[in-house]
Amino acid sequence: MTSDLLHQILRRRAGAFCLVVLILFYVAAFFAPLLAPYATSDQDLTKTYHPPTGVVWQEGRLAVRLYKLVDPTCAKYEAEPGQFAPIHFWVKAPTYHFLGFIPVSHRLFGVEAPARLYLLGSDETGRDVFSRLLYGSRVSLTIGLIGILITTVIGLTVGGLAGYFGGVFDSVAMRGTELIMAIPGLYLIIALRAALAKYFDDSDQIFILIVVILSFIGWAGTARVIRGLTLSLRNRPFIYAAEALGQGPVTILWKHLFPNLFSYLIVTSMLSIPGYILGEAALSFLGIGIQEPSTSWGLMLSQVQDLKVFMLNFWWLLTPGLAIFITVILFNVLGDVVRDIVDPKLKTQV
Amino acid sequence: MPSLRLTVLNSLFRGVAITLAALLIPACSPRQKLKREFPPLPKDVDIITKPPGRYGGIYINVDPGGGPNTFNYLVAEDATSMGAIGTVLEGLVRRNSLTEEIIPGLAKSWEVSPDNKTYTFHLREGVKWSDGAPFSADDVVFTFACIYDERFPNRHASDYSIDGKPFKVEKMDNLTVRFITPDIYAPFLEMVGGGPILPKHALQKFADNGTLMKAWNIGTHPREIVSTGMFRIASFKPGERLVYEPNPHYWRADNTGQRLPYLDLYITKFVRDQNASLAAFATGQSDSEGITPDNVEWVRRGEKAHNYTVHERGPSTVCNFLWFNQNPEKDKSGKPFVEPYKLKWFQDVRFRQAVSHGINREGIIKGVLFGRGTPLWGPETPANTKWFNPDLQKYPYSPEKARELLKLAGFRWNEAGELFDSAENRVSFTLNTNQENPIRQHMATVFKENMKDLGIEVKLQLLDFGTFVKKIGESYDYECGMLGLTGGGDPVGGMSVYLSSGRMHEWYPNQKKPATAWEARIDELMMKQLKTLNLAERKKYWFEVQRIMSEQLPFIYLITPNSYEGVKNRWENVEIPKSGGITWNLDEYYLK
Repeated sequence: MTSDLLHQILRRRAGAFCLVVLILFYVAAFFAPLLAPYATSDQDLTKTYHPPTGVVWQEGRLAVRLYKLVDPTCAKYEAEPGQFAPIHFWVKAPTYHFLGFIPVSHRLFGVEAPARLYLLGSDETGRDVFSRLLYGSRVSLTIGLIGILITTVIGLTVGGLAGYFGGVFDSVAMRGTELIMAIPGLYLIIALRAALAKYFDDSDQIFILIVVILSFIGWAGTARVIRGLTLSLRNRPFIYAAEALGQGPVTILWKHLFPNLFSYLIVTSMLSIPGYILGEAALSFLGIGIQEPSTSWGLMLSQVQDLKVFMLNFWWLLTPGLAIFITVILFNVLGDVVRDIVDPKLKTQV
Repeated sequence: MPSLRLTVLNSLFRGVAITLAALLIPACSPRQKLKREFPPLPKDVDIITKPPGRYGGIYINVDPGGGPNTFNYLVAEDATSMGAIGTVLEGLVRRNSLTEEIIPGLAKSWEVSPDNKTYTFHLREGVKWSDGAPFSADDVVFTFACIYDERFPNRHASDYSIDGKPFKVEKMDNLTVRFITPDIYAPFLEMVGGGPILPKHALQKFADNGTLMKAWNIGTHPREIVSTGMFRIASFKPGERLVYEPNPHYWRADNTGQRLPYLDLYITKFVRDQNASLAAFATGQSDSEGITPDNVEWVRRGEKAHNYTVHERGPSTVCNFLWFNQNPEKDKSGKPFVEPYKLKWFQDVRFRQAVSHGINREGIIKGVLFGRGTPLWGPETPANTKWFNPDLQKYPYSPEKARELLKLAGFRWNEAGELFDSAENRVSFTLNTNQENPIRQHMATVFKENMKDLGIEVKLQLLDFGTFVKKIGESYDYECGMLGLTGGGDPVGGMSVYLSSGRMHEWYPNQKKPATAWEARIDELMMKQLKTLNLAERKKYWFEVQRIMSEQLPFIYLITPNSYEGVKNRWENVEIPKSGGITWNLDEYYLK
């Protein structure tokens, strides 16, 4: 069924486009340490708020323009005519353990110090926005996938069991979900964050904490819908047949109910991933999400909520916003396409 | 998650929205003539020396936050409330912010007895409260009776006493008050003389029935809040605006007999945050605004269009510093606050000096503050001209020096350049700071990188302000902290910081007896400067404290941003002091 679905997505132009771009994003995030010219914390205090460096074809190879700080009071840089630094490929860099165990001592591209390659400019301490965007995408992009995984597992278990067994179990489970859904989401998130923060001090742990919090808020909705779907499937003859054959509830749930819920799950997952991306961004934006020295798109945005960014036209600092925007749209469009495929009755386009 | 989605979009475009809103709201205000009352001037009126001005004009100020929480001097804790109270209630003496001299306020003159313990104030004759009731020595006695009254716990009672003994306040006659201090108290005139005097006729009834702490809250009718200051409150809408109108009985006038202030109205509008108040100023909607170094350049671009000037005031009084927790004690469960082997580094002055040498202060100033800041080497910033000691031990950025000092202290590096102590412990610590201040966050990330160059691993932990303060003031379970304190003023303000028994002696607070010889010396100097009125001597003691602080580095001082003030050009008599609010002489402002 999965390969069939993939095939169908690729046959649709919008679907194929979104899928390919998203896969590119994820590949870039996965290989961030190789692709990013600098580490997230590499500062250069002599080049703060540096505009994107121009890349030109010079003497048969790619090169970046060199800039001079002409007015330090407003971070105004000007390209120095005739001054270039060639871009080298597969350059030596401080050793880094890719995925925690593969030692990598090279980066895909870079320029020789003291020149700096800022594809998307630099931030307030001279860190490369492009590199931070890449590393930040690891948080912002995976948070949705992990979150969905957690909510789907909890939602499927609670909703499935509630729908299958009914009765007291159903009541308790559904009142539980109502309780969670009754509390305004953002306030619950902030409260949970405040209550749990003291147990998670390291920034990697905070990432996990945020996924857990967002999933905790998110599973209730999934559970309710799964329960409804299970209830309607519960009385179908094939379930009775399975029961008559003496199969246990877990087997029935896994073998007979789950495949029938699969199409629904894939659509909702696709459509709710943006919620997690935006949730992380919102938390980081409010200063209670990912924290320095880690990075995420939301954190990068929150660090530039300052009038001078607009007034002095540091537009490149807003690129994380663009990245969030594009990712959310891609997921939404892809979700729509998948929904059209698995449930043609809901098809919106002619 | 629709609510989340909305929040992000809102936040994303908030900056744009503010700018747009600021452009769309017309910058005009009603220009009706104020009806002024002209009661006769008091006998001891204070005649200003400046040439006379003209009546008229509305001065608008935009402040972030919701406005004052109370108008009650005994209750107020925050700067906004204290500012509003200071506008309506005068003290016996005032401070000329330009010259930093003590000048007469409600008292026209005063004498100090030869033993320096008795102060006699002669009040101005004929001064009236804004409701017409006469001002007298009874008000002064009443004020201090309220402050010392145990039914009304307030933060001033401990400031206005020495070793727990209060000052004696006596009424000699209707216009003479005498204060007797139990011991010599050097900053008496600034600290006590400048404190607001409360109206007995308006507050006596609350003091009698014990509800004084609830009086003069933000729901009180503005007319009941009587004033001796230049303004009285015309109206207050919490979260929106506070409008002041001239006090018809104010006791200052110009040499043509025109009673000050010249202004018709003084309005403070309240907005959500700093960005909004800055946008209001940059679009010509307010008359003055403090501007942070990173915003100066673009605000200056509007100088012509909106007819204002951005004035440079030099270094600010904000002192940013970091320190290591040197508290050797244990918590209730018997666990030491700081790992013993780390405590050994933190207590080693060479380690602290090496860290100080390793910090790129110039880089922070150039990069983060656009070149608009000053490196700090001691507890006073250069803004405090009277008390600043320029002759301190300095630690310019020099990783080589830092390495030398670390080597001397027995540290060594492995092949990867990581630093280890003599017992083979990796040198690594966690820096805590509060997350609300962006400039401090940048300093923290730069510090982390600077330390990495020395082979020291720094972990950052950003906390909300409340949690951070609890960590450094109650639970002591941290290794390194970074904080900014607004300094300035008299060294007596630092008693709780520099005395080893002090509550805010951050590196090791509440010591029973000084842990080191230099802390004992600081204790001695701080007590000495408190007990003499001779300014030169006090300076000598305080300068030595600064010197010891710069040598021993319990606090590693970082930088102070320069401060800038934008003011509309339409005002005459704008006198911008090195530190403090620029509206200190608002009564003399008039339209050009």
